[in-house]
Amino acid sequence: MARHILDEYGKDVLIDYWQSLGREYYGPRAERWRAGGAEVLAEDWRSYFLDEPQAEVRVSVEGGTVDLDIKTCPAIKHLRDSGRDILPCFCEHCDHTCGAMAQAAGYRFERTGGMGACTQRFIPITHTNSEAN
Amino acid sequence: MLGCQDFCGYYDWTFHYMRRRFGQDAVKKLWAQAIAFDSQQHYMTAGQDNGLRGLYDTWVKTGEEEQCDWTFTLDEQKNVLRMDMRQCPSKGFLLGNDLNADEDYCDHCMGWIGPALEKIGAEVASHEHNHCGQCWWEMRIRDKPYQSLNLDIDIRKSPDWKRGYIERWKSNSRLPLLEQGGATDPCHVISDWFADIDHLTVLGRGPSAADNWIQGQTRDAVIVADPTYALRDVFDGEPLGVLIGDRPDKLKQVAKRFNATPPERRPLLMHMFLPSNPMIDFASEGLPRPVPILPLLIRAGLYTHQPKQPYPTTGTFAVMLAIAMEKQTTVAGVDLYKHPSGNMYNGEPPVTPGVIWPSWHTEACDVAHIRLALNKAVKPVYLHPFLEGLLQHIHH
Repeated sequence: MARHILDEYGKDVLIDYWQSLGREYYGPRAERWRAGGAEVLAEDWRSYFLDEPQAEVRVSVEGGTVDLDIKTCPAIKHLRDSGRDILPCFCEHCDHTCGAMAQAAGYRFERTGGMGACTQRFIPITHTNSEAN
Repeated sequence: MLGCQDFCGYYDWTFHYMRRRFGQDAVKKLWAQAIAFDSQQHYMTAGQDNGLRGLYDTWVKTGEEEQCDWTFTLDEQKNVLRMDMRQCPSKGFLLGNDLNADEDYCDHCMGWIGPALEKIGAEVASHEHNHCGQCWWEMRIRDKPYQSLNLDIDIRKSPDWKRGYIERWKSNSRLPLLEQGGATDPCHVISDWFADIDHLTVLGRGPSAADNWIQGQTRDAVIVADPTYALRDVFDGEPLGVLIGDRPDKLKQVAKRFNATPPERRPLLMHMFLPSNPMIDFASEGLPRPVPILPLLIRAGLYTHQPKQPYPTTGTFAVMLAIAMEKQTTVAGVDLYKHPSGNMYNGEPPVTPGVIWPSWHTEACDVAHIRLALNKAVKPVYLHPFLEGLLQHIHH
């Protein structure tokens, strides 16, 4: 899907697609995060990755921030095992989709690494503000 | 991360996104290019290398890996590869999770299989799906004699097949939705049915549907709900359309009247086919399968299905439908269960101490949908003064 949208409509549309997906399709999930806080957000990801074949992920919560330590990304693993070409910007879908979900839930999203292993952080916006202050 | 566990859900949403943003042809292009020629390219390779047998082997392997409840039957002598789907895991995911973002998720299969077969010199000879997770396909190599199969496992022999509404294809081409012919697209079926009408009257079943105000209005072309068609409670004439509600309990009476009416005077039967509701076996009730209204409402931007959330009442859906058709519309009998008589429906005794909305509907949901429709209306909408007053005073 992403390759087609990128090729046909360009990067801006692809980013809008990913963000809209986070806001709309995953809106109910983000609402649960917003209502339930960091523990609910963390539990949601634990549960999500349990259903993803070959995922190796450690989820932790500290000071209201949720960290996902993704040692094996199931999406990249699946694409590699299937011999599929992987878009260079593939991992950006997390930045935009999870970013939109995070924003709706009152968090900021950060990702470090990619293409098979990365760390992702959901940082409460109020937490960030108080740090800045 | 976008995982594999709910890809059917975000595919459904993606198809809607493409239609909404770039139009109907964009989603067809997506199905052909992103699915047929990219993610499912291995089917084309197998078909190119080994014809129908290659396709058979690939589908059987997929079925074993994904535990699909289907049967593939290959008869190379008869030049046919047949599939009978008993329970589609993909559509089943949507139904099980109350998802319905796009106009018609099932169309994507024909959307990729059709172009993929065409590329390898084959075609879909025949295909039908009922939008409840059942479908059948016969595929053949083009320009060679082909013979259809008669199998005990033919999904059309299953009681499940009677549910839902059917869309049909022959030789890669979509057939009319109604058996009597006409348009293939359910949105066009509805708009064609009402094409000669400038003004529609929508009658809900609330007491205001039978008072002096509505008696003084033009009621040449009327849409009613199924109980009104069965009971003639607020309208005794022949309606042009009947919207069968989400939990109909008078289908036998509807069928009796419908079948006793000369075909040329019969109304268009329509239904929501909401994923959260049990799919109804209209055929066993003696009725043709109604035309779905959600595709038109979604296309018109008047309805976004919210999983596991309240949905509009049938009267409100009928208002949305008339406005989606871009007609001048008069509305009565949509009283949001607040009529001063205390009656929920016209002619029924008052409900004391007051009406309690069923859990699957809310006043807020109805009000929001009516307001959205009014905001998007391109032709005048004349609301019964009682409903107009309610909308001014309800703050949701």
